[in-house]
Amino acid sequence: MDALRLAWKNLWRNRRRTLITLSAVAFSIMLVQAFHNLSFGVYERMVDSGVRAGSGHIAVYREGYLDSRDETLVFKAGSLPENIRTLPGVAEVLPRLYIPGLAQSSRESRGILLIGVDPERERRINPFLAALPDEQMLRSSSARDAVIGRRLMEELQIGPGQKFVVTAQHTDGTLHAELLRVRGVVDSGIKDVDNSLIMVGRQRAALLSGQAGEMHELAVILETANLDQKVFPAVAQLVMDRPEITAVSWETAMPNLANAIKLDYASQKFIFLIILAIVTIGVVNTLLMSVMERMREFGVILALGSTPARLRANILVEAGLLGLLAALLGTLLGCLATWYLWAVGINLETFVSENLEFGGVVFEPVLRAAWDIDWMVKIVVYVVGLTLVAALYPAVKAGRIAPVEAMRHH
Amino acid sequence: MLFSLASRNLWRNRRRTLLTLMAMVVSASLLILALGVFSGMFEDMLASATEQYHGHMVLAHPEYHKRRDLFATLSETIVDAGPLRETADMIGRSPRLRSFGLLSRGEQTQPAEVLGVRPDRERRVTALHESIIRGEYLKADDSHGIVIGEGLARKLELEPGSEVVFVTQAADGSIGNDLLYVRGIFATGDSRNDNRLVLAALPWLQKVLVLPGQIHEVAMAVKDPMQAEAVAAGLNQRLPSSALVLDWGELLPEMREVIASYDVSRMIVVVILYLATGLGILNTFFMSVMERTREFGILMAQGLRPWAVRRLVLLETLLMGGIALLIGVVLGALMTLFMATVGIDLSGYITPVTYAGGTILPRLHAVFALDNFTVPSLMLLVVSLAAGFFPANRAARLDPVAAIREE
Amino acid sequence: MKFTAVLILILCSLWAALPSPARTADLDLQTLIKDVEQQYRGRSSHAETVMRVKTAHWDRTLEMEAWSLDRAYYLIQILEPPKERGVATLKRDRQIWNYLPKVDRVIKVPPSMMGGSWMGSHITNDDLVKASHVDEDYTFALLEETDVFYLIECLPRENAAVVWGKIIYKIGKQPRVPLEIDYFDESMVRVRQIVFDKVQPVGDRVVPLRMTVLPLEKPNERTVFEYRNLEFGLDLEANFFSLRRLKQR
Repeated sequence: MDALRLAWKNLWRNRRRTLITLSAVAFSIMLVQAFHNLSFGVYERMVDSGVRAGSGHIAVYREGYLDSRDETLVFKAGSLPENIRTLPGVAEVLPRLYIPGLAQSSRESRGILLIGVDPERERRINPFLAALPDEQMLRSSSARDAVIGRRLMEELQIGPGQKFVVTAQHTDGTLHAELLRVRGVVDSGIKDVDNSLIMVGRQRAALLSGQAGEMHELAVILETANLDQKVFPAVAQLVMDRPEITAVSWETAMPNLANAIKLDYASQKFIFLIILAIVTIGVVNTLLMSVMERMREFGVILALGSTPARLRANILVEAGLLGLLAALLGTLLGCLATWYLWAVGINLETFVSENLEFGGVVFEPVLRAAWDIDWMVKIVVYVVGLTLVAALYPAVKAGRIAPVEAMRHH
Repeated sequence: MLFSLASRNLWRNRRRTLLTLMAMVVSASLLILALGVFSGMFEDMLASATEQYHGHMVLAHPEYHKRRDLFATLSETIVDAGPLRETADMIGRSPRLRSFGLLSRGEQTQPAEVLGVRPDRERRVTALHESIIRGEYLKADDSHGIVIGEGLARKLELEPGSEVVFVTQAADGSIGNDLLYVRGIFATGDSRNDNRLVLAALPWLQKVLVLPGQIHEVAMAVKDPMQAEAVAAGLNQRLPSSALVLDWGELLPEMREVIASYDVSRMIVVVILYLATGLGILNTFFMSVMERTREFGILMAQGLRPWAVRRLVLLETLLMGGIALLIGVVLGALMTLFMATVGIDLSGYITPVTYAGGTILPRLHAVFALDNFTVPSLMLLVVSLAAGFFPANRAARLDPVAAIREE
Repeated sequence: MKFTAVLILILCSLWAALPSPARTADLDLQTLIKDVEQQYRGRSSHAETVMRVKTAHWDRTLEMEAWSLDRAYYLIQILEPPKERGVATLKRDRQIWNYLPKVDRVIKVPPSMMGGSWMGSHITNDDLVKASHVDEDYTFALLEETDVFYLIECLPRENAAVVWGKIIYKIGKQPRVPLEIDYFDESMVRVRQIVFDKVQPVGDRVVPLRMTVLPLEKPNERTVFEYRNLEFGLDLEANFFSLRRLKQR
């Protein structure tokens, strides 16, 4: 207790120096926390919209489908979708068929990948469909309605409500054709989507390929992303008694997105390390200065009977206190900054006109932060730790003072 | 005179000077390294987007740029046309012919994009020859050899030495078809290339497509990709209207967006780092002034004007900044050299990432660029001056009498 | 009053024109169309043909030999020019294969190629597969009748997998041969026209020996198909139409 009070008093003896150091460290903490939380928030949203249009947080496939995308690798639904749906934490399950084929109008033809979905469920979850007005949505799983990307529609030289024919390979070895009509048009801004998206009811798609009641992909959407640790084992369990299928996480199913995020975090870490290194050196410098300044005083203390160890300990306590104060102040500021970024965010529309794409998913124009408390706490721990480390050299220096020499110091 | 005083002052308290210098050197050199790594990542992305497929600039008929119309051809002689030959910074020019058709082996048929090239010229523009994972790249006089992407090879179960049939619509309406032999397989990390792209011999494709002496485009590489836009503009002024040069920014507009955001985040990092540094060294400068209060008092009593005192302190900080800069630059250069030649391999941790038309490879490395040195250096001087500002004022405002009495 | 009289007249004359006993007008038209589409096939047929294709980029002439059986089987081989001699197409039901003699390989045409043109002409692979099923996919109505021809409007049956909005057949009365077929998109814009002429007796029928396909949105282009040495009623079996036969020269 005494040691703490002593340390506190010592800190404030040179108010200016302490304040400057405090602000340097606190400021760095604030920046690091706010920036990380911003990225965290942005990535969370990207992953969310990515998994909803893509594989889901957890996906079930036939063995070998992910690597080859071989359209013959389907699996029967059975009771699996319902069983997964009733698991706690699961918001929805989306069965899908992916069928390569040819789309033809009276003037043009294009190779396409037809996606067969369950319209109601897909509408609730898939961000590409969420923007569609009600009257543009697929009416049922067997309807001849199609939702297609705007550019694809234009390349086929047809318009909303007009018909086209899709031909694909049926499991019986022959080519089957189905009549479809443009019901809804998707204008996402992502070239790949608008060029090639074509979505129909799953039953209609199954008529084309002869794969009724089967699916290529079962996408599991969770209520929040961080539930995946809990839900994945449960899904894996349900899948275990069917050796031909396997469950994977979204990172495995959509490696491009996962890696884009990992890479960005990696480069962030690098930068933060540098910032923390610079800050640490500043702290070393400051502590050293304060030790040098009090040489004479230390000499007196030592001469009066205090041990070097005690002296070192005092210095460490001072440093620790400084670190803790800075951490608290920095975190407070960091929270304020994060709150602002969470509530208001940064609107990119003023800087960038086109839709930005990252890892295959479109950026929202407003960047918002999310609270990564774990990480913020980690940073606090690091900073306090670093301050203590920074204090080691000055403390050792102080401990080695020869009292007589020191007292003569000026 | 002030200068020599400043330098002596610095030398007098060696330890403090050294410590402060250390802080400044570390921040400057680490920033140089960070910017170098950023540049490395950025260069990777740009290189992958351009050097794997388009090159830095592409010359073609305007109709071909718009619609990839098979018939919008140019004569192959345009590759060595005057304006192209005379462009100083041109590293390579590669004539190409493009055909969309089918590759077939056994029961399997896959759509493919076949690019007819002259291997020796192509390797000076694109880097596909560096992505060969099995077999080897095309040789100059190999008429029926091809290199294909890994995804395509897998779907058709092809290996070096395999035979495959190519079918397409020729320019005279006939069905162009021929047997081809796989010489090598490449993996670029970009699935669009790996699942679709085939490189073949230009003379062979000209024959199959019945387009003798014709090409669709000339892919070009220049020394500095950031100059491509200017070079393209210059060429377009001298070329006839049937030939249009587009630079990579026009071919890959998303890449331009990414560069803009890279520049912004780079600036943010520089500012953050230097703010942290500045605050860090502020203390030291204050310290050094406060310690010498008495001394300043004596100097002022002896006639040194306040402005001279201020200038003295500023000179000290500037001098320190200058020394830190020199050492920091050397240290930064050394670290960048390490990262540029050796780098850090992250491939055990992540796989290649594709976005905005480019691919980032999982290897962290750095690149030397003048900006990456001048900016940190300048900033260091600026921060030194800024950090010295308050202490200098403080010193200048001292009351000589009170100062002398201080201990 | 007068209008009703004319209508009855039309219906009567339609009845009279056909040798078979009275059926509903619709069914008659269906058989009419089927007959027309089958005119070159019969139950079995064999022919030498010449196809001339003129596009913005080429003007080529191919000489070919073709066999057919019912509506399911079709084999056509190119004889001239020498560069393409031996190239052949085999259709069995709804599958198509191409044989390429230069590389001595058979390639099954995947769905993504079905939209592509057949041998560089204005006929697509898909046309080859589907054309023979017009009578199944459409409903028919008589638009107009004169002394010389019937004008029959074909509207796609609900949910038929066809891209056209409407097809109009102009079929001559004496002899009963097609004269023109117009293809319309869904907005009733005319996109393609096929014109028939050079009508000749062949065996026990009368057929137009020349067929011209006109893509109306490209006015300078056309594909002209002319039959020489057409014969019907051969002794052909389904197993004639095999991959092995495809490769024979």
